[in-house]
Amino acid sequence: MSTKVFLASAALGLLAAGLPAWAHHSFAAEFDINKPVKLQGTVTQMEWINPHSWIHIDVKEPDGKVVNWMVEGGSPNILLRRGFTKKSLEPGTVIVVDGYQAKSGDARANGANITFPDGKRLFLGGSNPNEQPQK
Amino acid sequence: MIRSFRCTLAAVVLIPAAALAQTKPTPAKTWTQPKTAWGDPDIQGVWPGTAMIGTPLERDKSLGTRAYLTEDEYAKRQDRAKNQSAIDSEETVSDLTRCDPKRGGLGNTATTCSNGVSIGPPLYWDDRGKPSKQASLVMDPPDGRIPALTPEAQKAAADRAAARRARPCAGTAGGCHDSWEDESLWDRCITRGTVGSIVPNTYNQGNQILQTPGLVVLRNEMIHETRVIPIDGRPHLPAGIRTWMGDSRGHWDGNTLVVETTNFRNGTVVGNTPASENLKLTERFARASADTLNYSVTIDDPKTWTKPWTISFPLKNEPNYVLYEYACHEGNYYMLNALKGARAEEEKKNGR
Repeated sequence: MSTKVFLASAALGLLAAGLPAWAHHSFAAEFDINKPVKLQGTVTQMEWINPHSWIHIDVKEPDGKVVNWMVEGGSPNILLRRGFTKKSLEPGTVIVVDGYQAKSGDARANGANITFPDGKRLFLGGSNPNEQPQK
Repeated sequence: MIRSFRCTLAAVVLIPAAALAQTKPTPAKTWTQPKTAWGDPDIQGVWPGTAMIGTPLERDKSLGTRAYLTEDEYAKRQDRAKNQSAIDSEETVSDLTRCDPKRGGLGNTATTCSNGVSIGPPLYWDDRGKPSKQASLVMDPPDGRIPALTPEAQKAAADRAAARRARPCAGTAGGCHDSWEDESLWDRCITRGTVGSIVPNTYNQGNQILQTPGLVVLRNEMIHETRVIPIDGRPHLPAGIRTWMGDSRGHWDGNTLVVETTNFRNGTVVGNTPASENLKLTERFARASADTLNYSVTIDDPKTWTKPWTISFPLKNEPNYVLYEYACHEGNYYMLNALKGARAEEEKKNGR
């Protein structure tokens, strides 16, 4: 399969801001907004762990070297309730990840958009469990 | 996005007359409170708070003391929920969309959405809840707003903010991560606090209740909290023993389980606000029907807030909801990424 990795950098000024009450953890602490990545790779493993799942993919770099990347995903419970099961992303599946690399420089990224090579969205198929208003 | 709220008489005890006057009467049904084999009211089951996630904690000021929306306001809330669901289901979501606060991106703060670029997570990570007519989760004071901090607590908050601003790391994107102690109690997998563990927020809002003679066990999915609550009349622990989740004692008031919790250690949190060791919580669990358990918690900490306040909402029975293992610290790559990321930033700054 064809795989490519590219890192682009953009000089963006960032302001530190306090988190609102009850806030989620800081993505700006984990990932670098100056390091957008587009990865195409083969799934080797999915960690179904709280508080966030992690998808492992083998990505072939331009020089031919294969690097195993970890991509942060949603919590297992919400993925399952949206229709995502262990069969949705079996080892060997090829996915494309648009995201940002970890500030540490490690091969870790968030997955702002995750699609299959044909452009279909990864987490499609699950209906939103919360669509129906409560009686 | 929220949902309707039915109050039982028992759950309403702490809610003022203004809120009561607007409470819709529960339709008469033939449901009767079941009892356990040993005669206690049976409130066992899996009771997620997921449905109420979209209900704002504090009420919009324009609603004043109205605890419930009008039909028109409710219809608008339903429209917004439908719109959000459509956005969440889009094939791909642009940075612009994810940074638009009106489009509900999770974790979108000024730092994750600078110049229209978002490094927040995909939108489908977030539970949205269901539209309800309840205007806010805070039901007392009557305006649905958290009371002002005491002058002492305001000064402490200002001092903390000033100390943060004075640190060299204060201007770094993502804030200060010099040590694990810079992370919140939640991020450190210690606790989200007794209140934060059950008040609906983001995702993983499962709760489970089990009963045995003399004990009630309350388990919160976020983050793997379990309180084993004696209901046999025994006194609280000695004042010198203090914990993050406090010491809970329960009793039955009719069919309502009343749980009083004290003995908090200094620095436990209600939301992100540190509370004092004087914090006292009074929770009420009252089953209103086979699938609804009304919950309220009154937060009383005269050192921190100028008056007590009450959060109240229904929990819904979902027998098929599963609370998965929350080996939080083991799976908490966030801590590693944030601390390593901050070290890398430092090295870059120092030209290494």
